[in-house]
Amino acid sequence: MRPYDQIRILDLSHWLGSYAGRLFADLGAEVIRVEPPEGLPDRERLSAGAFAFLNASKRSIVLDLEGDDGFELLSEFAATAQVVVLERDGPCWDRAEALVRRYPSLVVTCVSPYGRTGPLAGAAASDLTLQAAGGIAWMSGRIEDAPLRLPFGQAAMVAGTYAATATAICLRDAERRERGHLVDVSAQEAIAHSLQNAVQVWDLERRVSTRGGEGTRDATEDVFPCKDGFVFLAAPPALPNSWASVVGWMETLGHPSGAALRQERWSDREWRKTAEAKAAFRELFSGFARHLTRAELRDGALTRKIVMAPVARLRDLPDDPQLKARGFFRGVDGTTFPGPPYLLSEPVWQAAPAPKLGERTVEAAE
Amino acid sequence: MKPDFLDDIRFTDLTWAGAGPFGTKVFSDFGADIIKVESTVRLDSVRTGGPFKDREYGVNRSGYFASRNTGKKSFTVDAKTPSGLQVIQDLIRRSDVVTNNFGPGAMERMGLSYDAVRAVKPDIIYLSMPMYGESGPLAKLLGVGMTISAVTGLLWATAYAEGDPVGPGTHYPDHAANPYHAAFAVLAALRYRKLTGKGMKIDLSQVESTLNFIGTAVTEWSTTGEEPEITGNADAGAAPHGIYRAGGEDDWVAVAVMEDRQWPALCKVIGRRDLAEDADLGSVKGRLARRQELDEAVSGWTGGQRADAAAALLMAAGVPAARVASARYLIEEDAQLAARGYFQRVPHPELGDSLYASLPFTVDGERIELDRPPLLGEHTREILTSLLGRSEAEVDILDAEGALK
Repeated sequence: MRPYDQIRILDLSHWLGSYAGRLFADLGAEVIRVEPPEGLPDRERLSAGAFAFLNASKRSIVLDLEGDDGFELLSEFAATAQVVVLERDGPCWDRAEALVRRYPSLVVTCVSPYGRTGPLAGAAASDLTLQAAGGIAWMSGRIEDAPLRLPFGQAAMVAGTYAATATAICLRDAERRERGHLVDVSAQEAIAHSLQNAVQVWDLERRVSTRGGEGTRDATEDVFPCKDGFVFLAAPPALPNSWASVVGWMETLGHPSGAALRQERWSDREWRKTAEAKAAFRELFSGFARHLTRAELRDGALTRKIVMAPVARLRDLPDDPQLKARGFFRGVDGTTFPGPPYLLSEPVWQAAPAPKLGERTVEAAE
Repeated sequence: MKPDFLDDIRFTDLTWAGAGPFGTKVFSDFGADIIKVESTVRLDSVRTGGPFKDREYGVNRSGYFASRNTGKKSFTVDAKTPSGLQVIQDLIRRSDVVTNNFGPGAMERMGLSYDAVRAVKPDIIYLSMPMYGESGPLAKLLGVGMTISAVTGLLWATAYAEGDPVGPGTHYPDHAANPYHAAFAVLAALRYRKLTGKGMKIDLSQVESTLNFIGTAVTEWSTTGEEPEITGNADAGAAPHGIYRAGGEDDWVAVAVMEDRQWPALCKVIGRRDLAEDADLGSVKGRLARRQELDEAVSGWTGGQRADAAAALLMAAGVPAARVASARYLIEEDAQLAARGYFQRVPHPELGDSLYASLPFTVDGERIELDRPPLLGEHTREILTSLLGRSEAEVDILDAEGALK
């Protein structure tokens, strides 16, 4: 048995909703990409690697989804499903209500850049513009430069994860009380839901959380160069042990930065968030870290209980001792995949290769 | 709506700080009974971390805490006292899910290991979410969201240029990847329990969870043999594509020509017929080859516009564009969020009518209305008497013993 045994999901998503189906499929749901004869648009738009990741464990069926006849086909197929995922700019996007009306205990999850309603419901969007519209780009980058987006399609990851959770909650209600739901997931809102405490920083303190963190982020919370790369450190007043251990380590090694960080001004929480403090700390900490490698700094962090970690790039990951010990990376059909986002004590997670177009047509239709 | 979708579920919720409580919050928002086990001695770091109402410190005045704990109950109890531990075990006996995001070994030291908890409640769903997982040589490395970004490669790749990592401006993995993977796993475990009668343990390594958020980069690297290029706001397969300075103060607009048909539309908006007529620029390959020139053309135009106006004109022409929005803008000016009623105010005795982001979806056309977060220890007595069946006199004894700190 697996958690989503006996659940069939018709997945018409092609960008922002794709990861949702993946999460269900790895845990036993039969997630079927319902594709027009030319395939859903992600087959052409995504790289082979990205497609493989977002669509692993799913199946694919081809249906001619054009017009009323196409919707009728989808609708008949939906009689055998518990969930349908629709995405804007994909097939049958405007038919959500019709599906809900026809099947009162079906969950229909609609994923789109800005939601199904409001003045931007139809507005053109991309990963970059959604990261801008949702507020996350504003918060990243250097103050003297432009705001900076996060890499690797994060708009779709955030939207997909929220869509999966909302769908799972609504599916539970649909099964328990036989009442279906229409879920309307906005990627802009999903990103705006992921801004740390920026909403409250404005509402309660009338400060704007901005890239660089001046006035909102402690001087220690940043990336610093070391002997062979970079580390990230966090030793703000809210983590007093981390601060004491860093300063103590410097002193143990007889490095002058230790004494400098004992000065009174470092006990002023507010001053520590200023550009002046950031520059001063950068110089003092870098002077210390310059003599140590990432591994040495990490090992020191481990024994001294400092919140600090090496900055890895992708090619460092196979050598990460922790990921190695846990056997994290998996081969799926010859491609290296991240292992599951959660290790479950029951053997229910499994990733299978993404389907070719219409590959499981006969099987799926049965 | 105030949904009752999860009104048959109870958590003994020992999570604290950001990522853990954000994941259990969605359950309380949907009607589950989320009992937040807290300590008045070792306070939740987001209670003490602010931002604070009127910038005035107070354990019930933190907006960060509030935003992570809507609709929960606060139960202060000291697991280090024998009677405190017994109370927690009683609570677990009446719970479906036990959650924590402590470092490895902390639950064991409290006497609340998976095995110990299972002895009390055999079909329990037990979620742990330490930074690096429960086992392995670096399991005890202390972490926050940014250290997770660091070791996964996410920080490295959030950069203007290769080799000069900047990183996300937030503890990004704490706000979507880890809480929501955790929530999804618990929901799956609940269904599994319904099917089989069995509970399970969920070991969510926040690093491994976050690596799935950059999973497309891992599989792309594996497929092509090359690490994906670090492009900043540019894109390896689209041009023009960037965040351009607009005319106001710290005013920026994102523009992304993702399809060929959007190119002439952009040229028309920015008044560059010459570029539209340049046949080489009709294809993405041609535009990528002249990326810098196109960036200059776009920023030459955006520089004379307000970001809002520029984005509106481009969107009207079918070109993906958006003002780069700050939280303040989202709250005060964003017409789309306003039309969808995204922000809600919830009354609270110390925070006043403060502001919350709604869950980022509607259900059946309605917003999920949030209940306020709990005051520290607000529900301790109520839980002991009405849920755990203790008399007022017994509660007084526990209190006198120091078990309810």
